[in-house]
Amino acid sequence: MKTNLLKGSRGPRENDSRFLLDVHRRELPGEETMKRYGQDEEVDLVIVGAGAGGSVLAQRLARRGWRIVILEAGPFWHPDEDWVSDEAGSHSLYWNQRRMIGGSDPIKMGKNNSGRGVGGSMVHYAGYTPRFHPSDFETRTRDGVGADWPISYSDLRAHYEEIERELPVAGQDWPWGDPHSYPHSPHPISGPAQVLWKGAIDAGIEMRVGPVGIVNGTFGNRPHCIYRGYCLQGCKVNAKASPYVTHLPDALEHGVEIRPECMAVRIELDEQGRASGVTYMSEADRREHFQGAAAVAICGYSIETPRLLLNSTSARFPRGLGNAADQVGRYVMVQGASQSAGRFPDEQRMYKGPPPEISSEQFYETDESRGFARGFSIQTVSPLPIGWAEHVIAEGHIGGALREYMRDYNHWATIGVLNELLPQAENRVTLAAETDIYGLPVAHFSHSRCENDRRNMDYSRDVLQKILEAAGAQDTLTIQRYAHLIGGARMGSDPENSVVDSDHRVWDVPNLFLADGSVCPTQGSANPALTIMALASRLAARLGSGEIHSNRNPRSSV
Amino acid sequence: MPELRDPGHLPNLRPDGEARKPDWLPRQRRGTSPQMVGRFPNYDVLEAAADWDPATREVVEARLRPGGELRFFAAAEATTAAALSDRILAQDEEPRVPVVELIDRKLAEGRLDGYQYDDMPEDREAWHLVLAALDGTATRLHGKDSLAGCPVADQEGIVKAFADGSLEGPEWEGLNVSHAWSVCSRMVLEAFYSHPWAWNEIGFGGPAYPTGYMRLGPVGILEPHERAGATAEDPARATSEPAE
Repeated sequence: MKTNLLKGSRGPRENDSRFLLDVHRRELPGEETMKRYGQDEEVDLVIVGAGAGGSVLAQRLARRGWRIVILEAGPFWHPDEDWVSDEAGSHSLYWNQRRMIGGSDPIKMGKNNSGRGVGGSMVHYAGYTPRFHPSDFETRTRDGVGADWPISYSDLRAHYEEIERELPVAGQDWPWGDPHSYPHSPHPISGPAQVLWKGAIDAGIEMRVGPVGIVNGTFGNRPHCIYRGYCLQGCKVNAKASPYVTHLPDALEHGVEIRPECMAVRIELDEQGRASGVTYMSEADRREHFQGAAAVAICGYSIETPRLLLNSTSARFPRGLGNAADQVGRYVMVQGASQSAGRFPDEQRMYKGPPPEISSEQFYETDESRGFARGFSIQTVSPLPIGWAEHVIAEGHIGGALREYMRDYNHWATIGVLNELLPQAENRVTLAAETDIYGLPVAHFSHSRCENDRRNMDYSRDVLQKILEAAGAQDTLTIQRYAHLIGGARMGSDPENSVVDSDHRVWDVPNLFLADGSVCPTQGSANPALTIMALASRLAARLGSGEIHSNRNPRSSV
Repeated sequence: MPELRDPGHLPNLRPDGEARKPDWLPRQRRGTSPQMVGRFPNYDVLEAAADWDPATREVVEARLRPGGELRFFAAAEATTAAALSDRILAQDEEPRVPVVELIDRKLAEGRLDGYQYDDMPEDREAWHLVLAALDGTATRLHGKDSLAGCPVADQEGIVKAFADGSLEGPEWEGLNVSHAWSVCSRMVLEAFYSHPWAWNEIGFGGPAYPTGYMRLGPVGILEPHERAGATAEDPARATSEPAE
């Protein structure tokens, strides 16, 4: 294949982020010279949230001359000073504002599902960047569960390819879903990943190296990964992809303003019921400000996007925006993310190398013989000491037993799954009675598994056990956990059972768009970051070309 | 000492499911580990600290400095919290990682995690209520004023029941015991395993920026600053400085 001959040498055409970064500093270049719009200046687009969705949308449209302000609730990072190679010291990267959790399987929020600050949660995601499979877009038709999307895989394919060039993604040729290659070669893998891979092969399971959004080789001014193992604590190297290094440098270069520490309070409407801008609170003065815009895009992810829609009440929309059919906040999904560790005679030292190394999508689609619909993926992981302690205590070991397993850390290797848990209407975000530091009602997230979810997780636990046994593990420890977020304001073709149409436009508010993971009706068992970026890329292409009318004043076009 | 390639020391593989008291391991020879347990007796992660970036070094070394006055816990609460954390972590003697000081610092600064169970108060309030409830349980079951006033075996019994979610009694009303355990144990573990003494004990390589890890495999390969674990070798014959 001709792309293989060019691996590593081909960058994206319309994104100069990799050249704009400074070789000597880990900082988003252009903060000092960033365009700053006046309070009374109406822009073309206000984006809420500088994460995976909002950053891609901004970068694309800024290149087409759109005047854009991004409101970001969290800080403008300066990684050389703000980020550390340390688990507990990375606490401020997570969304630590209050959220209430409930249901029979409540979901812990923060470090493995939500970020706060410029770059969003991709600042601390592991780095796995798989695509969704074609089947993910039509699970209702194929498998009788979940929902069909109003778009298909083919609508996203070109955007997946473009985002993969921009991150760039490294990995072996991918045999699952829609088979494809990656722009960067697979990374070398660590000793423990080799041990687990051999176990998988002996258990009859195919695995491949990657796919990870981690530079393998230099890429513009981004250096090669140094395998220090702290991907989940923010990459101080600039090797791991996040919007902070992949899209925001180019966005700032094209006139985007990021307003950090600004928390969106509500979307304002004009007399015709169109969005007129966003009222927000600034952390500096704790007062309300307003930014007017011809169009608004909310990119706050599955908890904050529904919360903002629900908090945006008016006489016209007393239940919040897009919520006429009581759909906002529903069908929020997480993935089962159990991890099993095996003990081996030799020292493994799993902390070395990136946590994401090799993965399998062999169990991704429905296989009726397994007794449940849809499936799961398998990925190696490598908890650092605090993560390992949570793993050990999950099996009830405390006191001397906890310490003994902890001291044995270097003899263990860990592998995990991502289960596709099904969308359910009652797994939802609502407004709680509690308020945040600005006095705004916070989100309540209720989550309970269904029978299919439990069967999926039980089955995959046994598969991990088989891999570890085949690898020769002398003892095993398992932790049941969850990761990622998707849904909460899903796209559809009928306003009665969705929040946005196939163009991400909120039903009833023609110039209000959602461009984040909240729009996904299903989640597959793929990590969501790449798909969120690809969706934003597709929306930007359609907005930029005028295929979607955004209410933007043509006078400001270039 | 047994050969550590064999897993016989692991609680799951022992008949009683418990760990042995760690006096079968050597004493720590370099640096400090909690209770000087020497599973990696020749390893001190802090010897590499000069290679860490300044921001990381500052965050890690701050944990080694004495905490000063408690700001969040009242004195009696701190005593109960210390008993709780000593039982969770089996920190039965000095040197101890100052877990309560580290938690006090975190709670006083309001560095909370991003969620609250809907059947629980906010984490700071939860800590106050849990510590009072643990003392209440100690009084009800053992007639002592506080958890710390009980013999260690009784403390272990209470903490084990806390971990199992089986603690009951009027003092626990208004708290979901399992969720309360999740809140408290998580902070205890984070405090202990964020401390470089605990990294010495488990042989963790520690921060590696800007140096990186360049020896990823095959298994058993070491970076220059890493040291292999204790072996069954006669220490009189082993060199204290392993060959590099």
